Amino acid sequence: MKEKKHIDELFKDRFKNFEASPSPKVWENIAAQLRKDREDRKVVPLWIKLGGVAAVLALLFTIGNSVFNYSTLENPIITNEEIKIPVKGDSEILQKEKVKSTEITSEDLKIHLKESETNADAKSSKKDFSTEKNFNKTSDSKNAVAVEKETVTSLKTKEGAIKNENEVSEKITAKEALALQKEKESISEKEKSVIVQKNSTEIIAANKTKTDKIGNEIINLIVEENTEITKTEEPKKKTSIFDAIEEQNSEDAIVKNPEPENRWSVLPNVAPVYYSSLGNGSSLDPSFADNEQSGDVNMSYGVQVSYAISNRLSIRSGLSNVDLSYSTGGIDLGTGPVSVALRSVDYGNNEIVLTAFDKGELNMPPPGSGFGNIIPKSTQGNAQILQNINYYEVPLELKYALFSNKLGVNLIGGLSTLFLGNNEISVQADDFKSVLGEANNLSSVSFTTNVGLGLDYKISKRFLFNIEPMFKYQLNPYTDASNFKPYYIGVYTGFSFKF
Amino acid sequence: MTLDELIIQCKKQDAKAQGELYTRFSGTLFAVCLKYSSNYAEAEDSLQDAFLTIFRTVGQFKEKGSFEGWMKRIAVNTVLQKYRKQKVFDIAREDQIEDAEVEIETDEIPLDFLLKIIQELPDRYRLVFNMYVMDGYSHKEIAEMLEISDGTSKSNLARARGILKIKVEGYKTQNIN
Repeated sequence: MKEKKHIDELFKDRFKNFEASPSPKVWENIAAQLRKDREDRKVVPLWIKLGGVAAVLALLFTIGNSVFNYSTLENPIITNEEIKIPVKGDSEILQKEKVKSTEITSEDLKIHLKESETNADAKSSKKDFSTEKNFNKTSDSKNAVAVEKETVTSLKTKEGAIKNENEVSEKITAKEALALQKEKESISEKEKSVIVQKNSTEIIAANKTKTDKIGNEIINLIVEENTEITKTEEPKKKTSIFDAIEEQNSEDAIVKNPEPENRWSVLPNVAPVYYSSLGNGSSLDPSFADNEQSGDVNMSYGVQVSYAISNRLSIRSGLSNVDLSYSTGGIDLGTGPVSVALRSVDYGNNEIVLTAFDKGELNMPPPGSGFGNIIPKSTQGNAQILQNINYYEVPLELKYALFSNKLGVNLIGGLSTLFLGNNEISVQADDFKSVLGEANNLSSVSFTTNVGLGLDYKISKRFLFNIEPMFKYQLNPYTDASNFKPYYIGVYTGFSFKF
Repeated sequence: MTLDELIIQCKKQDAKAQGELYTRFSGTLFAVCLKYSSNYAEAEDSLQDAFLTIFRTVGQFKEKGSFEGWMKRIAVNTVLQKYRKQKVFDIAREDQIEDAEVEIETDEIPLDFLLKIIQELPDRYRLVFNMYVMDGYSHKEIAEMLEISDGTSKSNLARARGILKIKVEGYKTQNIN
């Protein structure tokens, strides 16, 4: 039959019930990916926890340092590892407990199978075993409780953490005692097998299934008993750690956010950075420790790349150029031989150099100090030493989103590696300025611990405006451990783009 | 297991339920992918991605609409995503919509052939044709989803119809000869 039909109708009709089966490899791929998801899900909460731990540690460390003035600087790294170890240990203990308890249960099973076999064989029939069950139940519980009372006192060990296991082992002893008693009363295992051989194969088979059943029933009974006994003694022990962990796991799985759409983002940023010190030492010379010192505001600029592990947590790194400067006042200037000049400055190959001294030191030079050879330089106004340091900073930070609406609030914590760039120590007065040389006590590679707060405003789905006040504490900026504990604060501002 | 129970189990990421859901719906969703893709391999790729999205975001499905409809939208979006990345900038021209009627016998043309000529359409024409004709999206919706203008959507549809009509008629003459 011919008919005129609109092309739309033609296709619509023909494809109405269209179905097609894809090749099996599609499902294989999906299943494999889902398995991976499930494994990843277990990893993600751990990351969040470790990230949190890292941030808290960084915070505690910086606060602690300012309060107690620790001088060892590698602490945070070590502490981080220490945190990991107990976690592992815990899980090992848990696993051991688990293994042990399963072993115990299987022992339980064996013992009771023996018991019931004995009984079953003695009767060698398929009669109703309910009486037997009752017998088991009553005698078991009575004996168990009685024997337990003795064993509780004798078997109590010191480790409170593994009480659960103890309890079970106590019961085992009770059961074993019971089993022994029974074995004495009835026939030994060898004898049993002889009897069994005598019986027809059908009976053996029947017995076997029955005994299996009874075994299971007995296990149930034991479980019931155990819970009853445990209830009266220590009501909460049973459901403890494993269940709690499992619950938590399942909660984690449910709570887990869907994956972020754009995992990567790039953040160019610029920040005014203020450099200062927590201690009251001087990076230049101990004699300047009590001088007037102040940090200056400089600029840092750079770019960061961030990868979103989940909707809340991202990890980021990048490269920044950081300029820091610090001035020390209360000084006099003079020209003299290198031997008496500031030791923290590399003057090149010059023998006679311009250098700086603590105010008043030149007026009353200590005998034999060689200060007599110095020609003081008169300057107008207050002379000061300026130290300029330039670093290339490579941060590694975790960022955790507390809120992520139009306006986002994030916690940031991490570490930065600082590679020393140019640095310069100069002196200046109102009418005078001169470069002394480079500092020779700066580490070429040093680290900072970073904590900060990240605020962002979402201009569009992909485009964000960020302001991040960050506190960065320097761990080992100077090779000579003076009491100079520098840090810098920066307000990092920039736009980030997700892709 | 009823569909509701299956959804609940899938929300718990239960592996068995996920397998069951795939068994029930892979046929329908694969058909969607086949229509929207340019070939079989691409359709399989999209089906795989679509199911992964379904399993990962099933927690967000509220029991308001049809679950099958929700899954189909995910499948369509999965395919569209691939084409959104490779943007085609062509000049939108409002064509005269031709008379798109063809004279055929109802079951004259095999389904395989129809699928083949859909898949052979230029990407955008294929997407618009499928969305408008097969799945009832409006030009406004299509325009938003494909990030094109209404006019482009209409013009693409007209061109798709034109090409399909020629091929259907071509098949008829070939068969007669």
